Amino acid sequence: MSHHDPDLLFEREVLTDIRRLDEAWIHPATFMFLADHSGVSPEWVMERMACLPAECREQHFILLTSGSTGKPKLVVGTRQRAESLARTLHELQASEPVDETVCLLPLTYCYAFVNQWLWSRQFNRRLVVTEGLAQPGRLKEALATSRNAMICLVGAQVPLLTRYFQEDVFPGVIRVHFAGGRYPQERLDEVRRLFPNAEIFNNYGCAEAMPRLTLRRAEDAPLASHIGWPLPGVEMRADETDRLLFRSAYGAVAMIDDVGFTAIGPETWVPTGDLGRRLENGQWELLGRANEVFKRYGEKISLPQILTLVRANWHGLADCYRESDPQGEAGYVLVLSPAPSADQVRDILRKLSQTLPRTHWPLRVEGVANLPMLANGKIDRQQLAGRPDSTILWRQRI
Amino acid sequence: MKNRDKLKQLLMDIFLLSETEFRFDLKREEIPTWDSMGTVAMAVGINETFNYHFTPAEAMSVNGVEDIIRILESKGIPFHD
Repeated sequence: MSHHDPDLLFEREVLTDIRRLDEAWIHPATFMFLADHSGVSPEWVMERMACLPAECREQHFILLTSGSTGKPKLVVGTRQRAESLARTLHELQASEPVDETVCLLPLTYCYAFVNQWLWSRQFNRRLVVTEGLAQPGRLKEALATSRNAMICLVGAQVPLLTRYFQEDVFPGVIRVHFAGGRYPQERLDEVRRLFPNAEIFNNYGCAEAMPRLTLRRAEDAPLASHIGWPLPGVEMRADETDRLLFRSAYGAVAMIDDVGFTAIGPETWVPTGDLGRRLENGQWELLGRANEVFKRYGEKISLPQILTLVRANWHGLADCYRESDPQGEAGYVLVLSPAPSADQVRDILRKLSQTLPRTHWPLRVEGVANLPMLANGKIDRQQLAGRPDSTILWRQRI
Repeated sequence: MKNRDKLKQLLMDIFLLSETEFRFDLKREEIPTWDSMGTVAMAVGINETFNYHFTPAEAMSVNGVEDIIRILESKGIPFHD
């Protein structure tokens, strides 16, 4: 059997003609689908793709992820697995009544790629590609004229949607999916105002899962950290240090990074990068990113739990970055956008003070006009620290 | 800024008090955020603002805003300005 060289397909080619993606999907050669501004060069990608063994050079596809580590890597999936996942999601997300899907995220994002592009291809539903919030006028038109539509969002987009579409309602949207970041539990009222006829789902996964692991409806749990039940074909477990691991019938079969090619066998437990625990009802709860839970003065600090408290009392955007205090103890800085008033900062800190000792309060509270964002809608944590436009609004004195 | 105003701003910031909540006769037990680490933060803030370092005994003896003023005045930092 002859083996093809893998193809490199750029987002701009697909946006010009969506059929390019269909052609790549039905062509035997493995292809890589790459964002135009991915942060890596085509040469870097081609060097990594040269590591592909012969058995991965057909009927596979490759996406780029930088995850939360900031280190780029390629995830290699099989088309059969991805199609199987799209079928599973169709059933579990009750997508049969959905006639079309409106894309607000780049299609190179695995979530949009499988849940929207591949799904629309498999079930012969209309795909409406937009530039998302980069072109809010066009997005508004697409949402306003949609009929029985499904959309996929990341939580960080909700305040932006609310800001852009203050007076608008989009009754044609009947499914709203969240994934790729923290679920916006505190903002569901805003989501329901924008999309009054939509069923809302919390989807959880990671790039290595290609990309889904669990699912729940909004009404199935009261907390953002409750991510629902594993999909059929997905096994999950937490190890002795609470690291959340998975094995999936839909997951990536390999990864390629600067170290080289790493196969993911059927027996391999893959770390999600999160900490988690199984609840009594079989749902899973996230306890934080493995690098977002740390000890300060001997006591555990969970940044996700802190951000949950902050977001319950702050309707702008909020995130944290790690920093050590002058004594060398691990701590964190809270960044809020837009910059809050002194009264708002005090209210947020008072809420923290009701459940957390002073040592667990942030080392500083900083305000910025806008948080740095990645193309996929997530906050760019690599760029949070030392922003020239940040203002120190409060600081610890211990 | 007068020393009274400096102290007021400092304590409002450390103990998360609003303008209307702050009084110069506030007692420690009236301020929920004034725990042992709050005392440490207060001592650090006093040092930064008034360049006086509370001894541990002085810091632990403080039971309200008036005690802070009394200690600082005894060190030559005026509060009747």
